[in-house]
Amino acid sequence: MTTDATGSILPLFAFLIPIVAAVCTVPLQRISARVRDYSLLACGAAVAVLAVWLAAGVAEGGVYETFILQLTPDIWMYLRVDAAGALFGATVAVLWVLALVYSWGYMAEGHRLGRYYSFFMLCLGWTMGVAYSGNLLTFLIFYELFSILTYPLVVHEQTPEAMAAGTKYIIYILIGGSLVLLAIVLTFFAAGQQTLTDGGILSAEIGHGRLFAIFWCFIAGLGVKAAIVPLHGWVPDAHPAAPAPFSAVLSGVMVAAGSFGIIRVVFQVFGVEILREMGVAVMVTWLAGITVLFAAVLAVNQDNLKRRLAYSTISQMAYVVLGVSLLGPEGTIGALVHITNHAFMKGALFLCAGLFIRRLGVHRVSQLDGAARRMPVTAAAFALAALGMIGTPPLSGFVSKWYLGLGMLETEHPLLLVVLLGGALMAAIYLLPIVYRMYFREPVLTSDDRITAEGREAPASMLVPLVVISVLTAALGLAASLHGMPVWLARIAVEGFFR
Amino acid sequence: MTTWPPLLVAVVVVPILGAVLTPVVGQWRARRAADWALGTMLLTSVVALLLVARVADGGPFSYVAGGWEVPYGIELRFDEFSAVTAIICLLGVLAIVFSRRYAEHALPEVRIPYYYALLLLNLAGMLGFSITGDLFNLFVFMEILSLSGYALVAVSGEKIAEMAAFKYLVMGAVSSIAVLFAIGMLYALTGSLNMADVASRLGGAPVAPVAVAFGMMALGFMVKAAIFPLHIWLPDAHAIAPSPVSAILSGLVVKVGIVGMLRLYQIAYTSRALDLEALNTVLMWLGALSIVMGAFFAVFQDDVKMMLAYSTISNIGYIVMGLGLASSAGVIGASVHVFNHAIIKATLFLGAGALIFRTGKRTLTDLAGVGHAMPWTVAAISVGAISIVGIPPTAGFLCKWYIALGAVEAGHPFFAFALVFGALFIFIYYIRMVNAFYFRPPRDPAILEVREAPASMLVPILVLATLCLVMGVLGRIPLSFIEPAVTRLLAPIGGG
Repeated sequence: MTTDATGSILPLFAFLIPIVAAVCTVPLQRISARVRDYSLLACGAAVAVLAVWLAAGVAEGGVYETFILQLTPDIWMYLRVDAAGALFGATVAVLWVLALVYSWGYMAEGHRLGRYYSFFMLCLGWTMGVAYSGNLLTFLIFYELFSILTYPLVVHEQTPEAMAAGTKYIIYILIGGSLVLLAIVLTFFAAGQQTLTDGGILSAEIGHGRLFAIFWCFIAGLGVKAAIVPLHGWVPDAHPAAPAPFSAVLSGVMVAAGSFGIIRVVFQVFGVEILREMGVAVMVTWLAGITVLFAAVLAVNQDNLKRRLAYSTISQMAYVVLGVSLLGPEGTIGALVHITNHAFMKGALFLCAGLFIRRLGVHRVSQLDGAARRMPVTAAAFALAALGMIGTPPLSGFVSKWYLGLGMLETEHPLLLVVLLGGALMAAIYLLPIVYRMYFREPVLTSDDRITAEGREAPASMLVPLVVISVLTAALGLAASLHGMPVWLARIAVEGFFR
Repeated sequence: MTTWPPLLVAVVVVPILGAVLTPVVGQWRARRAADWALGTMLLTSVVALLLVARVADGGPFSYVAGGWEVPYGIELRFDEFSAVTAIICLLGVLAIVFSRRYAEHALPEVRIPYYYALLLLNLAGMLGFSITGDLFNLFVFMEILSLSGYALVAVSGEKIAEMAAFKYLVMGAVSSIAVLFAIGMLYALTGSLNMADVASRLGGAPVAPVAVAFGMMALGFMVKAAIFPLHIWLPDAHAIAPSPVSAILSGLVVKVGIVGMLRLYQIAYTSRALDLEALNTVLMWLGALSIVMGAFFAVFQDDVKMMLAYSTISNIGYIVMGLGLASSAGVIGASVHVFNHAIIKATLFLGAGALIFRTGKRTLTDLAGVGHAMPWTVAAISVGAISIVGIPPTAGFLCKWYIALGAVEAGHPFFAFALVFGALFIFIYYIRMVNAFYFRPPRDPAILEVREAPASMLVPILVLATLCLVMGVLGRIPLSFIEPAVTRLLAPIGGG
């Protein structure tokens, strides 16, 4: 146990509130849909405020911890909010609330809303738990269950495609989860029950063979969720099948949960020194580099918009793993910040995709011609997020890529800049044509009158989250250097990692 | 002090007496039999709880029947493993409550009192089995519970039930003969039937006969526990029996084999007459095979109860693997899973029973969409499913964690791998089940009109589902309870 942490009950509420909300969803719905919506919003907003408040506290140098309960004689469930966790937690909570509000409009005509909202809130609680886990067992508890609680949301539409995607999702995720369990068992045997500590909890004395086994079990297990090629298969299927607001969080923070786990493992289970000595990080760098380019190339070919965005997620999240595997401070800052920045940018893109589906009935890129005229705000948000994703200054995507680039030079891997810039270039190739189509092509009038007659801008409840998210995308870039911003938190985390 | 020993006798005698009197009480009105059985079991539960509290407080204790000194008299001995009596009583009470409506629906009225009598007898057999300190007594109780078990499988009187019961009986007889044979050999070697006494006298015995005796006993208990490939009797018997009986058979009766194995280990490790390395290796491999094969067969089942029956084989695989690992964490995990699996599997079987009771259908195809009509029951089943595949923090996770840890501890990381990926395999068919109940379109829309299960069924199911969570979250209580027993068990071989 570190001594500088303050005991606080607040982290506990970050996952208790959503659970209570989830349990109450169906009874509230009995009263009326409106009561349910506002109650859930209140709960979500409370979690977001809490998460941001914790992040602000951590930015001042604090660390919060909560002991929840003793699971077995030697296992404690223990939450600990450090800089990395606070940053991820705040990202999760804010994106989730926006997606929740967006759901009102998107799911308005949907079926089984009680189930949808209930699991949506449950997943929020469990993801917050992942962010705030203070030891590996707690991490495992949240990580495994939240993968499974996600399943009803992936298959929510209950179409044959959704069911197939759900099966694929759950099998991939469970294989990954099993590997993580195995890795944690091995770690527990080697190091006992220990708080995740900067600098690592494993010692080199347990032998290289064991360390290798543990490392690759972790990387392969978490890599499934982080969608490292060749473990990415579930991502392109699950995203188009899920409802758009859920796709947004799935892409924005669920995939990132895997990358976040890798950060925890690299810096707080192994520690930089052991990994440098083992020399395995280079292999991860290669894997991640291949993932960035491979997924980006595949994205170009996708006509289904959500599928294209899903491949983009694979490509972008690999940047995080890439940055971590450099084992240098600047690269790690880039990785941590990119999780947050990517969450909002990709969230914005998926929310736009959802609006195109709901308002224009359009699923495919090739049908988006002239969409900007009918939905100017949505199109503008999409363009902004797309530019951010490519890494245009001064948007937020640029900030993280800047740090990633610095990290590559700092660790003397200048060749990797090719990957960084290549990924950005490919992002331009797969995103900008969409923007071009929306703004500069004439709309093709199909026989489907609904598109011309009803196709117009979205209702306020869906536009507000989209606009907020776009503002965040820009603000996180413009204000990147300010006190308390993601870069600041990431720097605190990294100072610990490389102490 | 003096008040305890009679309680030790009472925990067996009360249900036996209750069983004998049930047909008399139920002669005029079948419902009376249900009340009587419930009352008997509640009384027994109180006794069992007092005993468990005592063992938690002061460690094992024993009582010598009739004042005859050990090794001449029959010794009843209550140790931490005997705490399984508490679970037996819990499931017994819940199964009897559940049976109230189920039996009326599934059985001819004239048989109902006999059904309760058999159920009580079966429970009494298990209670006796888990508290006796005498080998021959062990065999007698094993026969009581086996014979009543055969009859319970056949109780519905359908042709297929008789077939299943007969298959069960044949395999059960083989198991009984093996165990009896082994007990005879041990008696021949030591001149004693008291377990502790046998253990102390076995030290200098020649190796070959001891090996045969232990081997036969292990074989007999393994048949009872339905470990692969000795499992062939189990799926039919458990799937075809009335659902409350399935819960008892799958949750408890197969565990008799495990408790028997624990007793065998107590004798073997204490006496150090034999190095059990070979047996342990066999158990580890059979455990791993059971996990995988049970899951493999289950994937192809469409019948819900059949699937659950095969899942039992997988779970027994966990337990047997944990025993075979012979490392502290492994044996602790196995012992705790004896309790936890009983709770989880009872949740699932009673849940399935409620579905069958309301819909009259029992295949996944026919039950598609039932989750919307019976939300509470199916939610409880889902909790059971999540628990049985070992998702933290449910009850099933503890065993997976401890046994995997035990495998690493014993220097066999491969078995940790087999365990974790076997569990994955198991998840696949539970996913199929949850998919069918919630996400697949119903085959027959009428299924959306069925009502939720009656309270007498729903309450036991929900109690058990809650326990699935509680036993996981408060896992430290059973774990720290069982730990001293395992430490004692493994101390002679330098484990623990």
